[in-house]
Amino acid sequence: MSEIAVHTQELTRKFGNLTAVDEIDLQVAAGQFFGFLGPNGAGKSTTIKMLTGLLAPTSGRMQLLGLDFAANAVELKRQIGVVPEGMGLFERLTGAEYLQFVGQMYGLDRSTTRHRSEELLEFMQLVDRPKTMIADYSHGMQKKLALAAAVIHGPRILFLDEPFEGVDALAAGALKALLTRMIERGTTIFLTSHVLEIVERLCSHVAIINKGQLVGQGSLEELRAGISGEAGNKLTLEQIFFSIVGKDGTQRPQIEELSWLM
Amino acid sequence: MAHVRTALPGVLQQIQLVSRLRWRILRNSLGRKNSRWDIIGVVLTGVISGIFVLGLCFAFYSGAKYSVAKGQYEWMTLLLWAIFLFWQGFPIFVAGFGANFEFKTLLRFPLSLSVFYIIGLAYGLSDFSAIASVLWLLSLSIGAGAASPGIFPGVLLLVLTFILFNVTLERLIGSWLERIFARRRTRELFVGLFVLCMVCLNFLNPAINKHSSSIRPLALRLFPYLDWFPPSLTGRAIAGVAHLQPTQFLVGIVGVLAYAALLTMLLWKRFSAQYRGEELSETAAPLPVKVEVPTADSDLSGTLLFLPPQVAAIAGKEFRYLKRNGMMVLSLIVPPIMVLFLATQFAARRPAVQGIPLSSELFFPGLMAYLILILMAPAYNSFAYEGRGIQSYFLAPVRFRDVFLGKNFVLVTILVLEVGLSLGALIFINGLPPVTLLAAIATGFIFTVAGQLSIANWSSLKFPRKLEFGKMQGQRQSGMAVLMAFGTQILLGGISTVILFAGKWTDNPWLPAEGFAFLGLAAIGGYFASLDGLSHMAESKKETLLEALCR
Repeated sequence: MSEIAVHTQELTRKFGNLTAVDEIDLQVAAGQFFGFLGPNGAGKSTTIKMLTGLLAPTSGRMQLLGLDFAANAVELKRQIGVVPEGMGLFERLTGAEYLQFVGQMYGLDRSTTRHRSEELLEFMQLVDRPKTMIADYSHGMQKKLALAAAVIHGPRILFLDEPFEGVDALAAGALKALLTRMIERGTTIFLTSHVLEIVERLCSHVAIINKGQLVGQGSLEELRAGISGEAGNKLTLEQIFFSIVGKDGTQRPQIEELSWLM
Repeated sequence: MAHVRTALPGVLQQIQLVSRLRWRILRNSLGRKNSRWDIIGVVLTGVISGIFVLGLCFAFYSGAKYSVAKGQYEWMTLLLWAIFLFWQGFPIFVAGFGANFEFKTLLRFPLSLSVFYIIGLAYGLSDFSAIASVLWLLSLSIGAGAASPGIFPGVLLLVLTFILFNVTLERLIGSWLERIFARRRTRELFVGLFVLCMVCLNFLNPAINKHSSSIRPLALRLFPYLDWFPPSLTGRAIAGVAHLQPTQFLVGIVGVLAYAALLTMLLWKRFSAQYRGEELSETAAPLPVKVEVPTADSDLSGTLLFLPPQVAAIAGKEFRYLKRNGMMVLSLIVPPIMVLFLATQFAARRPAVQGIPLSSELFFPGLMAYLILILMAPAYNSFAYEGRGIQSYFLAPVRFRDVFLGKNFVLVTILVLEVGLSLGALIFINGLPPVTLLAAIATGFIFTVAGQLSIANWSSLKFPRKLEFGKMQGQRQSGMAVLMAFGTQILLGGISTVILFAGKWTDNPWLPAEGFAFLGLAAIGGYFASLDGLSHMAESKKETLLEALCR
């Protein structure tokens, strides 16, 4: 069996009376391109925040690369890269300054940081605005920079919270190319996205969370088989998603209800 | 279905909607855990400020009553000048206590320009300086009315006109300063000019002393021109009301209204630009496309090789942020210039203030304490400008002790530099103080700075509050952080004073230096011992921090 990159056991997070994430058991094998799906407010970002150390779980266990997160937080943070919700950029630095800062924070020496920054900025097509503050970048440019910062230290696991949100087709192409290359080199990628077509095209495995509970997990084939009872059917990920999440009445609303819009 | 055209709400309705929105935002924010502490801080700060404001209300009431009763209306003019200078000057030197709400965000709604203008003006009245000044002006009217009830309506009318003038001017200055600070070139130019003016001010007193005989008549010749400024015009109009001289009253009120109209026109122009969607970012104009790979020449942290890489990275980032924050740069430049100013005004040529000799034993430590007091204040909310970047600290493989070490390193470097330069300048101007005093200042510096750092770091984690870059209006510090800063500085200041005087009482000039050295070592030990505890605290407080700073 391949190495497990991400493993959670009964991972739970409560905010007062609200249980945002309810005892989820996730298992992501090393080298997998893993999509984590769910409707708005399902608990995706909360889960990713817990897995990356931005939020403490209320209960349950998390292991990354076989190590307990709570006991090895600093060591594990060295091995992971994150594009968090809101991107977490220092907006009053330039792109190059930010990458230098991040590289050093991950313990890279100055020449390696410089070399990688240059390569990443060129790859992401951010070199034509060297003196521009991040605050003045477009949303898509900020996303590309956030991804560059997340990979500068060569992480073994990459967590991406909505990496394609607000990104144009060209930028999305650059992001996809980078992610594909990383997968080829053995990196595990854990991403959340609302763009099901992209997830379907990129991810080999998915998990679906709804109202804080894990309602489906496995390869696309396994999920298809789980719904129709037979393997090899042609259900799209969108159909799988609606079929699983829609069971509790959250299916697509009837457009006739908004007749005043037309 | 047919397209239904809805009528836009009227001006009053729009203002009502925005007021309701403000109230709901305030009410909902009270429910937040972090806000509750903030509210306690605001209440306590409010009580202290309230005592100050109410005390002066009584003073203005009495002053106006006396002025009208005795028929000495020039006193009334002086009171109006005092309020005018406070109202316009306070927000510039102290980021106001105004509502922390970006009223320009309302532009997404179909607000008319007039509503936008009125709301913008109304926000000007929510600043601390505006509230205090309005209360003082009302006290002044009541005082005048108490002395002569017949003149109250006329005085009230004049005071309301004066309020309109002041609020418009304050908003105009604020919006222009924000515009200036938003762009690097204008910011640097402005800071340069400001520093130049402050330095020139240092030569004012010696120049006045030297040429006092020729300056005095010139100043007396210039004084009458002040009559044409709004505080004097209002004062004269009040005298007109009291003496039943309608011409004097009309000249005064029309004059102030003319000023208000002119300022309204200028402010309308500014707000119109904002209404049209003015961009105030660093690089508003499109940059020429130029393919250029950034080099590491600008890698500031490369010069901090003696520090661990993570600490150096944070220190480098702090220096860059400091350099790009106009308001912060200003707040760092002003204190040493003020020290020089005080030194040249009160110590060089006049070794005594109003006949009381000013000994170097008081003068030197006093000015150093002032510097530390001002420069340490931002450390009590040191994550204020991080914004969403705060997430980087929690995502990177660093312990929070490194974050504090980096931030504190920058602050201490600036403090050492500024205190060192100021001390050097003071010695140059006033001569060398006794060695025992120099030693006491140096060790006292270590004690007060190291002693404050641990508490300031704790305060930064416990009471974080986001502040916007380069903005001066609508910015409010965390109430509890302000109280922590005051409390700690009063405590350490008290201890330091006792130690300094202990040397005098015991006739042992080395005692203060020895005492401070001992306490300084203890404070340094305490500082390093606190770092691990603060790292744990940061972990447990990270949700509060992220919530407060990533909004």
